Amino acid sequence: MTDLLFAMAVGILFAIGVFQLLRRDLIKAAMGFSMLFTAINLFILATGAYQGDVPPYTTNVEAGRAVSDPLVQALILTAVVVSFGSYALLLGLINIASRRYGSVDSDDISDLKR
Amino acid sequence: MGNNPLVIAIVFVPFFTGVFTLLFSNTDRDKTQRYLSLAGGVITAVVSLLLLIQVVEEGPQVYQLGGIQPPFGIVFVADNLAALFGVMASTVLLGGILYSVNCQDKCLSYPAFMPLFMFMQTGLNGALMTGDLFTFFVFMELMVLSSVSLVAISDDRYGPEAALKYILISGMGTLFLLLGIAAMYATFGTLNMADMAQQLATGERPLLAQSAGIMLTAAFLLKSAVFPFHFWQPDFHTTAPTPLSAMLSSVVVKVGIYGIIRLVTLLFTEEAQQIEQLLVLLGIIGIFFGSFSALRTYNGKRMLAYSTIGQVGFILLCIGWGTPFALAAAIIYAFNHAFIKSSLLMLMGVVASRIKPKSAEFSYINGLGGKLPWIIGGLWFIGGMALAGVPPMNGFISKLAVARSGVDDGQWIPVILAVGSGILTLTYMFRTWQNVFQAKAKPEELRVKIKPVGDSVLAPAFLLTISLFLGLYARPLVDIATATVEQLNNPSIYIGVVGLFGG
Repeated sequence: MTDLLFAMAVGILFAIGVFQLLRRDLIKAAMGFSMLFTAINLFILATGAYQGDVPPYTTNVEAGRAVSDPLVQALILTAVVVSFGSYALLLGLINIASRRYGSVDSDDISDLKR
Repeated sequence: MGNNPLVIAIVFVPFFTGVFTLLFSNTDRDKTQRYLSLAGGVITAVVSLLLLIQVVEEGPQVYQLGGIQPPFGIVFVADNLAALFGVMASTVLLGGILYSVNCQDKCLSYPAFMPLFMFMQTGLNGALMTGDLFTFFVFMELMVLSSVSLVAISDDRYGPEAALKYILISGMGTLFLLLGIAAMYATFGTLNMADMAQQLATGERPLLAQSAGIMLTAAFLLKSAVFPFHFWQPDFHTTAPTPLSAMLSSVVVKVGIYGIIRLVTLLFTEEAQQIEQLLVLLGIIGIFFGSFSALRTYNGKRMLAYSTIGQVGFILLCIGWGTPFALAAAIIYAFNHAFIKSSLLMLMGVVASRIKPKSAEFSYINGLGGKLPWIIGGLWFIGGMALAGVPPMNGFISKLAVARSGVDDGQWIPVILAVGSGILTLTYMFRTWQNVFQAKAKPEELRVKIKPVGDSVLAPAFLLTISLFLGLYARPLVDIATATVEQLNNPSIYIGVVGLFGG
């Protein structure tokens, strides 16, 4: 059940993220970017965290019960930091561009295209 | 096989230099930051050279972070390929810092410039040295974010626009890299490349691993601006501050190449054939697209950026042929191209810094001949010869290696096409030389004011000296490249040296 829910959540987030990233409005594109990162973080979580239900690094694991994978959570922690950094930088750049070009439409921000 | 501190020093010397320079001010008068960075750059270059010598003499070196054995701990591996690319990156970095010391650009006087420059180099060297895919992703992202910030503060008024374009597209590439890495982890339960290679070599291929291979290939192609993913590259490399665009166009695009070489020789050796067919096709298209676009563009730096697309095409073509000699040719080509392209971009920056408005657009800089010191034109002539592959420069050695490997493989038509595109290179390089450095326009015809002083030509001269040296004395590089390919074609060496637990 959890697997199915996870797969659906990842799929829906990914679909919305790709759709938003392709929008002309750069703020929506930035939000799509962050959604895509969330989708991938959930995907990483799904690869290992629910293999077992016992917390890692505990003693006295009962026979027949599997330990949850701690590495995926460390990976997500790193990926969240990275994505947060790039998201902040992206929003800062959109801020500069919107002030300089007076628009957040990616069609208007195209002085380099000639 | 103990821990070798040089492997980690090549990553951490630029990092600590970057952090340390943050303590000092950076203005036009007080250049403490730049001199400190120069010292850091010299140390990085020396360390990388020592590492290369050690790797060539004693075999691949490793460093286990925290002394935890892989695949549980993160391991840094310097085999021939990584060490060779490390020397390339660190030497061009030294050239870039040398240029920055006397650069008149306004963005060079921001206190964040040199630290970000060094952090970018940290990401670059780290991505080359790491033996762990997730760490590769983190270093890659460090590199991307630092270079985006540097382009956003560029003197060029289109800097933020190019940076915005790049962060969105490169962010997409990074996402697919991460997704591919996650899929690999889901399949093999490891992030260590050697461990993955071991499992891939023995077991069958689940569908998830194959799609991970496709995603990694796409991400690497995007990072090295190969033809269908190239559209961000000319904007980004044109608007970047000159020392940075020299780094971007020569070294940073090679990280993607490095990833592809690792992919076809270490990880997906069985699927290599399919990937290589794709690379040959993209390479040939890239060569012609890059060369023709360079012919018709309006800006000197942009011309060189398009030319990079063409040159990367040559490297991909060689990787695609896949014979040992062709792979060696690809490595030689990648190594030689870095010095040529960085020096040429710096020369364009030197020309642009002499005029007001500061821009490398041909409508501004055409007809400046006689107003500029003759040495700039002379160096451009030498660099143009190198890029087109005229002896005695190192470009000739790389073109010769490409043609030789193609003929050995019986690929006549691609070889003829590839050599034919050298003529295009000759055309656009020497047309620029004629129009900019030889033509003497009357003062009233020029749309720009000439400034008495500009940036120094010390850095491009330094890099061109290296490329002349590599052209006259190519034997060591060719030998190292051949040894590298022997090592690459035998993945068990790489796997063995990592020292997997229980392996």
